[in-house]
Amino acid sequence: MVSVRGITMRLASGGRAVDVLSDVSLDVPARQFLAVAGPSGSGKSTLLGLIAGLDRPTAGRITVGEVEVTALGEDELARFRRDTVGYVFQSFHLIPTLTALENVAVPLELSGEPDTGARALALLADVGLGERAHHYPVQLSGGEQQRVAVARAMARRPPLLLADEPTGNLDSATGTQIIDLLLALNRRLGSTLILVTHDPALAACADRIVTLRDGRVAGDELANGHAAA
Amino acid sequence: MLRMAWRETRGAWRHVAHVLACITLGVAALVAVGSFGDSVLGTIAGSARSLAGGDVEIRGSQPLPPAAEEAVASLVGPGAATTRIRQLNAMASAADDGVSPRTVLVELKAVDRQYPLYGRLAVEPDRPLDEVLGEGRALVHESFLPRLGLRVGDRFRLGNRELVVSGTIRDEPDRSLGLFTLGPRVMIAASDLEGTGLVQPGSRVRHRTLVRLPDGRDPETVRDGLAARLGAIARVTTYTQAQPGLRRMWDQLTSYLGLTGLVALLVGGIGVGAGVRAFIAEKVMTIAVLKCLGAPWRAILGTYVLQTAGLGLAGSLLGAGLGSALQPLLAPVLAPLVPFPVVVAVSPGAVLRGLAMGVGVTLLCALWPLLVIRRVPPALILRRQVDAPMPGREPWLAALPIALGLGGLALWQAGSLRIGLWFVGGFAAGLVLLFAASRLAIAGARRLPRLPSLPWRHGLANLHRPGSHAGVVLVSMGLAVMLVVAVALLDRSLRAQLADRGAREAPAFFFIDVQADQVDPFRALVRGAGGRDPEVIPVVRSRLAAVNGQPVARSAGSRADDWYLTREYVLTWAVDPPGRNTVVAGRWWTAEEARAEPLISVEEDIARHLGVGLGDTLTFDIQGVSVAARVTNLRRVDWRTFNANFFVIFTPGVLEGAPGSFIATAHAMPADEPRVQAAVVSALPNVTAIPVREVLTRVTAIMDQIALAIRLVAGFTIAVGLIVLVGALTATRYQRLYQSVILKALGATRGLVARVFAVEYALLGALAGLGGTALAAVLAWAVLRFVLDVPWTWQPATLTAGIAVSTALAVLVGFLATFRLLGERPLHVLRGE
Repeated sequence: MVSVRGITMRLASGGRAVDVLSDVSLDVPARQFLAVAGPSGSGKSTLLGLIAGLDRPTAGRITVGEVEVTALGEDELARFRRDTVGYVFQSFHLIPTLTALENVAVPLELSGEPDTGARALALLADVGLGERAHHYPVQLSGGEQQRVAVARAMARRPPLLLADEPTGNLDSATGTQIIDLLLALNRRLGSTLILVTHDPALAACADRIVTLRDGRVAGDELANGHAAA
Repeated sequence: MLRMAWRETRGAWRHVAHVLACITLGVAALVAVGSFGDSVLGTIAGSARSLAGGDVEIRGSQPLPPAAEEAVASLVGPGAATTRIRQLNAMASAADDGVSPRTVLVELKAVDRQYPLYGRLAVEPDRPLDEVLGEGRALVHESFLPRLGLRVGDRFRLGNRELVVSGTIRDEPDRSLGLFTLGPRVMIAASDLEGTGLVQPGSRVRHRTLVRLPDGRDPETVRDGLAARLGAIARVTTYTQAQPGLRRMWDQLTSYLGLTGLVALLVGGIGVGAGVRAFIAEKVMTIAVLKCLGAPWRAILGTYVLQTAGLGLAGSLLGAGLGSALQPLLAPVLAPLVPFPVVVAVSPGAVLRGLAMGVGVTLLCALWPLLVIRRVPPALILRRQVDAPMPGREPWLAALPIALGLGGLALWQAGSLRIGLWFVGGFAAGLVLLFAASRLAIAGARRLPRLPSLPWRHGLANLHRPGSHAGVVLVSMGLAVMLVVAVALLDRSLRAQLADRGAREAPAFFFIDVQADQVDPFRALVRGAGGRDPEVIPVVRSRLAAVNGQPVARSAGSRADDWYLTREYVLTWAVDPPGRNTVVAGRWWTAEEARAEPLISVEEDIARHLGVGLGDTLTFDIQGVSVAARVTNLRRVDWRTFNANFFVIFTPGVLEGAPGSFIATAHAMPADEPRVQAAVVSALPNVTAIPVREVLTRVTAIMDQIALAIRLVAGFTIAVGLIVLVGALTATRYQRLYQSVILKALGATRGLVARVFAVEYALLGALAGLGGTALAAVLAWAVLRFVLDVPWTWQPATLTAGIAVSTALAVLVGFLATFRLLGERPLHVLRGE
């Protein structure tokens, strides 16, 4: 499903170049639940962003399904994200001017699907927020905002689901609820899920754990008896 | 505190640039206008004696009688020099070349050998005046030559006399300084005037006697003595009162231009207020920390006030520099309105005033948002909730001194309480209406049903998003649009007035100085040359001698009503009321009433200024003969018609014996006009033809100049309005970036995000355009109706253009300010959160 080949990401930081990722290669088969673990600054989130086409690597190639992400233009990338990727951010990133319902409806509207209101409402009901559909993000708790973000990410039933420390800004009880929700919905959709976390307990739920350290793959192990690709 | 103010400024370059830009342009407009106005008035004051032609001037429509001449001689005393000048309009024609003779209306000036007393008449070729004037020689203004196809040395006719062009006038020290003249100057010697036959009984000749006093004689004393002795015969002025009309016109023009510039500064002030509010919102954490560290709020407020004052001063200095540099740009536009070369200089007064206005407006507009500092709770650092509204009430009490201060600055700029109050009232009304309209529009945007289009929904949402600057942008851009569109509407209405009615109803010519025995040949000449039968009206020139038996006292002062007491009255008589005149009080006389006693009909405005009503008596002095008559009705005159209109009309049978002449209005097809003029002038050389179309063209040209100057200054307001827009977009830059990046992360293309922005900017521009244009229509209507007395003409093209241009500018400037956001890669923005 996802093929990462020799990715290097060099960023200018304080006047000198830093390799956030250096020569990372990785293959994720369809429907696998992969956890990317590692200390902060190890390049986990950058890798996730590159897979989603939110930025371009300095070198290397990324393919998702049949699409070579690293070869796409700016607007093709936007369409790729719209049709293929669902993304859950650490700090939610809901549009503050839109209600919960409208936020969930945005991906549906972007692809011109009919009946967006009703479908968005159904999605919100799925994450247990049917009652709060018309609240603005500031009126929602952190956990509620992240549920809205999860509903938004799932809205178009994307084949690839990316979650970047989705519990990082939440207390542990709320975080557990979000993870349960995410996994339950993912099982229903049958998507490939890549989850970035530095929480070993959370990583342990995954089929496979890739550990990054200083921008390199430091470990790749199967868990729960699943087989690697 | 100074060090703290500097620390708070460093690193806030966006804020600094915004405040500077807001203030700079407004101050530049004020300084440019003020400096040029001062240059003109300074030039007038600096050469007042030569502009007046003497220390004391005696003016009248008749030559001074011998007794008065003696009085003048004894009063000015020995050692004084005197020169006599006669000025009149006359027709000059090229020597007959066998085809149709070319003719031109000229301003004729006959001078004696003492002329000029002050200054120097510069002529080309540069010879003593004795050699170029007298014995049939004439000096002419350059523009005279091509109109008759002449060169220096050629001959031309003036009345009954043939003259030779001996040279051209390059600089005439005491030329009349009206806004426009009826024709080019021709100067001849007094001895040559008699032979022209132009001076006939009833001819409109201005007699000027100029006096140069010996050192030590006070012109004011001499003036007062002369005024007392000469009474109703003439007006006496000193050189310090020279060119009152020009001074007044300049005072008014620079006052209106200055107020136009003030609008730019005040719009900038709104931008400063919004900028400071956004700046302080970013600084609440710093302020909370300072409060935690024990800084009293007054000290923190003082720091930011100091900072703002410094920025205001810096912006004003930049503006003063820019305005001084721009003065040469404004000067060529205004210079054609001044009949002498203006010494353009930077006026320290205008610069200082510009600086004071700039700093004053900056501080007053920044004070309100700065007062929030007082309410920032120190506990904020514990909660880290930056967007939270501040506790406590808005400091409404502070609004009063702020409003008073801004009003005071406007009054100072206007220089007149009446105009200043009108300005403050109009501006405040515009501000309040635009503010209310912007609130309404934003509330409306919030309540609008869900739109099906994604860019429209998001663009609309941006208008009412918390922290949106839409209100400020709508008010400031709306004010700018209001000003510019109102100027355009007024301009077009006045032009429509001149062009339409002028072209359709105006006669082709006014003929003046037609003598009684010339009336019949005159009619025949006009008809024979293709004109319609002219309307010929008898006129008698007179002065007002007494009102209700009280002799008219000449206070020699400058009260406005004096003009009505001392002006020349051109009288006529009529059996029936003239067309387009409406009797508004009393009624028109019957034949019996007219036979019984002398009655007069008076124009309503002049009656008000003279303080007379029905039944009052006015006595006129007609070349020494007094004629008294009772006011029997008041008339309203439609001055917009280009017909002969009169302030005072007598019953028939009173003035017939008085020395007078006839004026006539004649209609002709444009193609026939030159023939009509030539036929009349060559047969009746003393008759003066005033071509109405030419005069209208000249009036239009002057209006063009004034309109261009006003548009230039009003353009500053639009520029400032756009700066406020850029400031608002800069202040909300981060929200905008965030929104665009999330949309892109969810799969929106750059084109879609651009459409979201475009909708927002277009809505801002269109709403500001709509509000501003609507207010401009109201403003223009009110000015036309109540000030200019010109009918309102509906101008859909101007109104539509106001909205369209405002929308286009908002979209263009908005994009220039934000297009870089579209290219931002989403990842690092989202991770930087």
